[in-house]
Order: sequence, then structure tokens, then C-alpha cells
Amino acid sequence: MKVFRKADGGIVQLIDKNKMMEWPIELPLIFIEYIKNNKLESYNDKDVEKKIEEYLDEVLKDVAIPRLIDVLEGNNNTEIIEALERIDNIANDNLDMARPIKPYLNDLANNKNKEITKLAKGILELFRKEERRKELNKKRKIMKEKEEEFLNGKITPEEYAIARKEYLEFRDNR
Amino acid sequence: MKIAKNSKKEKWDLLSTKKLMKKLLDETHNLKDVELPNDTIKIDDLNRKQALERLYELIDDLIEKIYANGKPVVELPSRSNSNIIWDEESDLLLLGKQIQKKYFHSLTSVADITRLMRVLEIINELLLKDMHATKREIFYTDVKLFQDQKNSDKSLEDVATMLYTTRNSTHVVASARGSCVGRLRIRDRNDIIDLEGLGSGGWGISPMLDNIEIIESDAEFILVVEKDAAMMRLAEARFWRDYPCIILTAQGVGNVAVRMFLKRLSKELRLPVFSLVDSDPYGHYIHSVYMRGSKRLSYESPFLATPDIKLLGVLTRDLDKYKVPGDCRLDMNKTDLKRTRELLKEDFVKKNKEWAKDLELSLKLKKKAEIQALSSHGFEFLTEKYLPEKLTTGDWI
Repeated sequence: MKVFRKADGGIVQLIDKNKMMEWPIELPLIFIEYIKNNKLESYNDKDVEKKIEEYLDEVLKDVAIPRLIDVLEGNNNTEIIEALERIDNIANDNLDMARPIKPYLNDLANNKNKEITKLAKGILELFRKEERRKELNKKRKIMKEKEEEFLNGKITPEEYAIARKEYLEFRDNR
Repeated sequence: MKIAKNSKKEKWDLLSTKKLMKKLLDETHNLKDVELPNDTIKIDDLNRKQALERLYELIDDLIEKIYANGKPVVELPSRSNSNIIWDEESDLLLLGKQIQKKYFHSLTSVADITRLMRVLEIINELLLKDMHATKREIFYTDVKLFQDQKNSDKSLEDVATMLYTTRNSTHVVASARGSCVGRLRIRDRNDIIDLEGLGSGGWGISPMLDNIEIIESDAEFILVVEKDAAMMRLAEARFWRDYPCIILTAQGVGNVAVRMFLKRLSKELRLPVFSLVDSDPYGHYIHSVYMRGSKRLSYESPFLATPDIKLLGVLTRDLDKYKVPGDCRLDMNKTDLKRTRELLKEDFVKKNKEWAKDLELSLKLKKKAEIQALSSHGFEFLTEKYLPEKLTTGDWI
């Protein structure tokens, strides 16, 4: 077990990442999410929370992602479909957890197996929507600034109209 | 009965327990497996694949013997009393190297051998299918042959020793009879189970421990309680919230699953382990089984015993210290007195002066008491005073 010592003399112990190598492929990700969402704040020690977050990142980088990638890069379609279904569940709950898998999804979206293609495209669509949402927020902020500039006479009505048109086109083009 | 006043709860710092926890966590040698003396047999905890391999090796060996002289013999470590050794160094009951032979062509052992081979066949099936069965189920697979469950149980233990492995490794498990609550998260195959969130009943300790893995804990000690009633009191008070711990009960003498689970907790989490039993010879015996293992399963001791377990209470000396009223103390009967004297003759008790002293005191007072006797000071006395104070002051054996 990995031991984290709290300032008040208490401890937190987490399973060693090497033991997770034998787990079902989706379980390390579920473990990371479980600790982050359910336990982290209960430890009441900022330093320990930070160290545990770093450890969980290590688990993600060294165990969870490589294990999923191994399957996705393999030739066993049944395993790939199972893995993609699990990734889809995880991505729907927390997209950031699935982000390291994204580059592999682009290849799988062109796979000969229709089910694999459908699942990969479905997950990629989640990323696309997320990116669009971020971009839209950015553009909304810029639009607000332009409105203020226009009201203060810092830009011409034509300049404002062009910016507004660009924003509306992006917003409505889903 | 007096009911405790609804006064402000006193908060204990568990100083002595924390010190012990720190010591155990800092001791790196604690991580190593028990080193067994040369004159004892070594038993391995095997995974399914390894157990199957060992079983096939045994069968290959038998086939070779049949080809060689047509009169095969199986050899297994003797489990008789004369072959059970208490090892002072590891503080465990272990099996010596005396070997027992069972002949296929002998009228005295033919029934025994037939049962043994049938059990081997069943175990092979369980391992191949990755299934588990209880001892009772094994008996019902061939009632005519086994006649009595004692016979199938004996054959099972014979097979486990023949394979030099634990009974759990053969996928024959004890029926579930124990529960656990507190600051612990485990994995049972694909599920994460939070032992704080299962209500007052807690998690029924699974006998299929090969499917269980400890994944997280912020406990600082482990408490084993003899009585279900005490467990209920602790669970209802959510004792682990104020005092970070994991609580287990087996409702009496710990069965294999509970003892094995406790051993896993103690070995992996390296936390102090305490027992809370009745103040009577049976309670002390229960504590000793957790600590050193039972004679019957001495070959599995390294996987079942928790040598570092401390006897927290209820000690005989506690009866006066905590003013347990005379009405709540019971007279020891003849059997109690005999059992206490027998315990005092055990090497592991003789070695522990404080333990012997407490047993001698019980012989002198001729009194015993149940854990529940502490309720004479109010239902909260156990959780708000007795346990926290003892854990803070280090009042254990």
C-alpha cells in the first residue's frame, strides 16, 4: 500500500499502482474517479490531497491509459468494442478522464468494423462538442468586449456588425 | 440501569494507539513474510493456475507410482498433535515434518483414499470452472461415499496439506459468518465497496477472498469484537467516524474467512490490531485463536494468524478499574476454572507475563463478565469512555 501521512498524525493508504496491472482494464479509471469524487475532500489535509492527486495522475499515466491503449492497438475486435464501450461510459461522466485516449480514436473511427467505427465516432463527437462549447465561451467573451467597445465609440458600427455576424454564424453552425 | 447523561462528548486523542501505528508503519521488516523454521512445513497461498499445476503434479506422481509398482501411496504431512509445533520466533502454531502415508491397496485406508481422490476430482472441477464451494456443498456432492461431513472435511484438509497449500486456494471456502465496517474500501471483482456506507450491518466478509482486494483506507487501527451485540453498539455509534478504525466480528471464534481477512488487513495495512472479548476463558481463547491459529488448522497458521494482535479487553483487572457492579459479574463455573488453568499452561501465555497475571487474577476472583456488562454505566460507555480511554492510555495486553 502507498502510505500518505497527514499533519494530524492520521494516515491514508492507497493500493500500489503495480497491483492494478492485473485489474479489468476500466477499473483503474473507475478507482481514480472514485477516490477523486468520494474520498479526497474527506481527508481534510490539503497537502495529502495534493500528493494523492499526483499519485492518481501517476496511476492514470502509468497504468490506466497504457492498459487501454494496449487493447485499442490490438487486433481483437471484441476486446476493442468492450474497451470502447467502457471509455464511452467514462467519457460521458468525465470527459477529461478519456482525453489521453483521443488520438487512438481517430484511427478507430476509420476501422473496417462498423461497431468500432460507430463507438469511436460517438466518443469523438463528445470531444467535438466539448471543444465547441469552449470555443463558443471564448467567442461570447470577445463579443461582450466588442459590444462595450462599440457602446464607448471605440469601434465603428461596421466593425461591430462584422464581429456580431461572425459570432452568430459560429453559434448557429452546430 | 443508569443511562449516560447527554453531556458533551469527551474527545480522546488515542495517543498510545497512534504511537503503535507509527511504529508498525516504520518497521520495514513487518512487510516480509514469516520465516518458518527448518523443521516445519511451508504452505503456499496459490492462485487458481498455480493450484491446478500443483494438483496435476500430484496426479502425475501417482500415475508414475502406478506404472512403477502398481501400488501407489500418497504422502502428506501428519496433522496429529505430536506434529504441531509452537514456534516461539514467529509466535505461531505450525506443522512439523512428520509424514503420514496412505496406501491405495490397504483395507484400512481404502475408504479414506477413495474419498481423498473424489475430493481431488471435485477440486479440479472447481478450479477449472473458477467456482467456489462450501465444505457442506462438498459433502452433498457424494453423500453415499462421505457418509458424514466429518469425513469430507477431513479429506479436504488432507488434500490441502497434500498440495501444501491453504484450503482457500483449493476454492473450498468456509460459509460466510462475519462482518466488517469502518474506514475501508475494497474491490470485489469489478465492484468498489465502501465499508462506511453499508449501514449498521456492514459488509458480510466474503469467504471468496481471492476476489477481494484492499484498495483504500484511512483507518488507524483494527478492532476485532467477539460479540455481535458489541458490534451493533459500535456500528450504531458510528465509532469509526470519531476514531478512525476498521471493525470486524465473527460472532465467536473467528472462522477461516474472518481470520484470513484480518490477516490480510493487518499485513497489508500494517495497523495495530486489538481484540475486544468477554472477560472469561472462552474470550481469551478466541483472542488466542486470532493470535496464533488453531491446532486443527496449524498448517495454515501463517495465512490465518495475526501474532501482533493485542488483547484490549475486557480484562479481569478492568472489572474493578471500571467499577463493573457486582450484579454484572458472574461466578466462574468448574469448566471456566479448568479452561483458565489450561490456558495458563500454554507456552504463549507463560511467555506473556501480563496475560498470565490477568488470568491468575480471574482464578483468584473466580469472576467473569460479558462485554455487555459495561452497559451498566450507560449504553454509550463502551464507545465514549471504555474503548477510547484504553486506546489512548495503551491499556492492553
